[in-house]
Amino acid sequence: MNGSGRGGGGGVRGGGWNGGGRGGRGGWSGALTWTQLRELKCSELEGAADGWGRVSNRADAARDRIDKQLLAALQATQEGEAVEAAGARLGELSRGFQYVYMECGLVRTTLNSLAQELREAQRRLRAALDDADGLKFTVHADGSVSYPAAGEQLVTQDKLPGGTTEGSPLPRLLSPPPALTAPNPHAAKAQEIADAIACAVGEANGIDARYTATLLKLTAPRDGLLTSDAIWADAHGDATVVRGLADEYLKDSIPTDRSPAERKAWWDGLTRERREEYLAVYPDEIGNLDGIPAEVRDAANRDNLALLIGKLEGRVGDEGAQTRLAGLRAIDEQLRSGGHPPMFLLGLGEQGNGRAIVSYGNPDTARNVSVYVPGLGTALDEEFARNDLKRARDTAVGAQKYDESTAAVVWLGYDAPQMPDYESLKGNVAVMGTGRAEQAAPNYNSFMSGLMATNQHADAHVTAIGHSYGSRTVGAAAQQEGGIPGVDDIILVGSPGVGVDRAADLGVERDHVFVGAAENDPVTKLPSKRQSALAAVGLYVAGPPGAYLGGEVGDVGDDDLWFGKDPASQSFGARRFVVDDGPRPVLDGEGATPAHSNYFNPVRDAESADNIGLIVSGNSGEITTERLR
Amino acid sequence: MTIISEVRRGNFLGVVERSWRQSGYEIKSVNTSRKFPAIYAQSEDGFGVSLTIGGGGQAFFEIDSPCVEESDVADPRTPSNGPDYSGGPIPRPDVYDDFWSFGGGLSASVVGVS
Repeated sequence: MNGSGRGGGGGVRGGGWNGGGRGGRGGWSGALTWTQLRELKCSELEGAADGWGRVSNRADAARDRIDKQLLAALQATQEGEAVEAAGARLGELSRGFQYVYMECGLVRTTLNSLAQELREAQRRLRAALDDADGLKFTVHADGSVSYPAAGEQLVTQDKLPGGTTEGSPLPRLLSPPPALTAPNPHAAKAQEIADAIACAVGEANGIDARYTATLLKLTAPRDGLLTSDAIWADAHGDATVVRGLADEYLKDSIPTDRSPAERKAWWDGLTRERREEYLAVYPDEIGNLDGIPAEVRDAANRDNLALLIGKLEGRVGDEGAQTRLAGLRAIDEQLRSGGHPPMFLLGLGEQGNGRAIVSYGNPDTARNVSVYVPGLGTALDEEFARNDLKRARDTAVGAQKYDESTAAVVWLGYDAPQMPDYESLKGNVAVMGTGRAEQAAPNYNSFMSGLMATNQHADAHVTAIGHSYGSRTVGAAAQQEGGIPGVDDIILVGSPGVGVDRAADLGVERDHVFVGAAENDPVTKLPSKRQSALAAVGLYVAGPPGAYLGGEVGDVGDDDLWFGKDPASQSFGARRFVVDDGPRPVLDGEGATPAHSNYFNPVRDAESADNIGLIVSGNSGEITTERLR
Repeated sequence: MTIISEVRRGNFLGVVERSWRQSGYEIKSVNTSRKFPAIYAQSEDGFGVSLTIGGGGQAFFEIDSPCVEESDVADPRTPSNGPDYSGGPIPRPDVYDDFWSFGGGLSASVVGVS
């Protein structure tokens, strides 16, 4: 942040706290005195904060205007090198405005937080001064307190003389030595008041020093920030610094331990200014908080995305960070390119294998919402940004064929099991345990509960979709107390079993569990653990085809899979919709498990994609079905 | 886009299906839903073709090619002879035709979607 404050609607110098007659030098030339603290107008600091807030908002509006009007109009109507060059420049300008928006927002919160802390110190000072006044004590410029004569000497019966005592902000560890004569009864009280004054002033000076340091950090290099990497790294550093100060002021009141519905009520009850502050300082908290409206989460996460990219760019040589970074960049690119249906970034994080939740279409205004859980091998990387996001987009477009009011979400809110490498094979054979699914279940349900709180339709139609291991996660979520909040339909595709033996145990109405299982998808035929430990080894050594082949040896037409009953089996009792058989593993030359990846794809498997679209749009009575296994 | 009434929809799917069969397409699957009927077919050289009826009776023709190496493909040079809705929401049909729209009720239209 450039500290010159040009264009700022106030700034520190505009506030009252630096005007206390401390010579002409900028910054602190001496310690704050109690008279200055008493007279301090904290509201002026807040006025300055409001000014920074206004600048921040104007920068945000300017960014919006570039992205949504200028760039969109240019790209829609013009072609050629000139428009590309203009687009690149406008993109830079937009990022510049985003930076101004974020940094001014940080200054605003820093000033508000400063005002709040100083006000508390001032309140305690004033209380001490009131005490002194009531007792007719005199408070001197240096903070010492004089008290009048009072009491009487035991021997002479004379009044005890008054005196002056100096305060100390430090707690008094030693009690005063016992006096031979009774002390002036005012002495102890005067000491108490002097200490309180010293304490309040000392604290105010500490606050002052901390905030001065922070505000000084909110400056950009003299030459400005030329590359976007440097911009976001700088913004990330600044946000971290401001958080250190604002935690007490803002963060404590984010209701993370409340229900999504209560969080929505909390958010709805905040003033516009306060909301802007939360978005400026805690985009990651607000962006990932279930119960916050989708548009707000989207705005927060887009800011956090820029910050995260800046942070990870700094971790050169960290392979995991670079993988995450490539995924984030690919998501960022898609967000910037616009398109239809509009994207909403509903969650983002770097913990574990990374987190990302993306919706195509606004899930708060759509009548139909689906939430797809990806499976085995999914992590926040480039492949996720390309393939799993596309599945959600395909679902949205496919369902909108039947009902325009549809949004489709991809939910990577957990660490899916990764395909094992040889090293982990040696150490750990339980690759596809239920642990990850069980851990994910409460988070998935919290997200769904948040959707129910923010969706504007009283009768929203909600579909949970699980692909591959994600179907096991959906199964685990359905097993939680109360089941999956708000869910009407469940779709399981490419499933190795879901952890229950009957569709009826998934908590939706009869005939509302749907299964897509391609004949050539080996994951839908993974043998049960009981049947073939050999197949498990096959899974490690050769991936699912190995397990497939190994399983074929041990599995003689049984309907038990890796995680229990085959969802496509007669006894499970779901409805099996028509999907293409798909290419055969390995033999058809498309890799190990090509048929495992086509269910959502309107090009590779049009009928399956249409069937998913029909179910998600609330038309499950119209699907084509096929014989159960 | 042309409204195709409920009473004409059977004709419409029938005409298309006959034409596809004559062209040597294999009909792979049919959705006989009254509300959202569909036909899925495949050409001899592996192209997938489908006709589905969507919301508001909107008709979708979709064509996909067999697997190819991913490569940059130039945009088509032939200008669209109707409104081009690619990349955006496709509106529901709104043009009345004396034959296809006869009888009112559900409507549909024809749109090319790749």
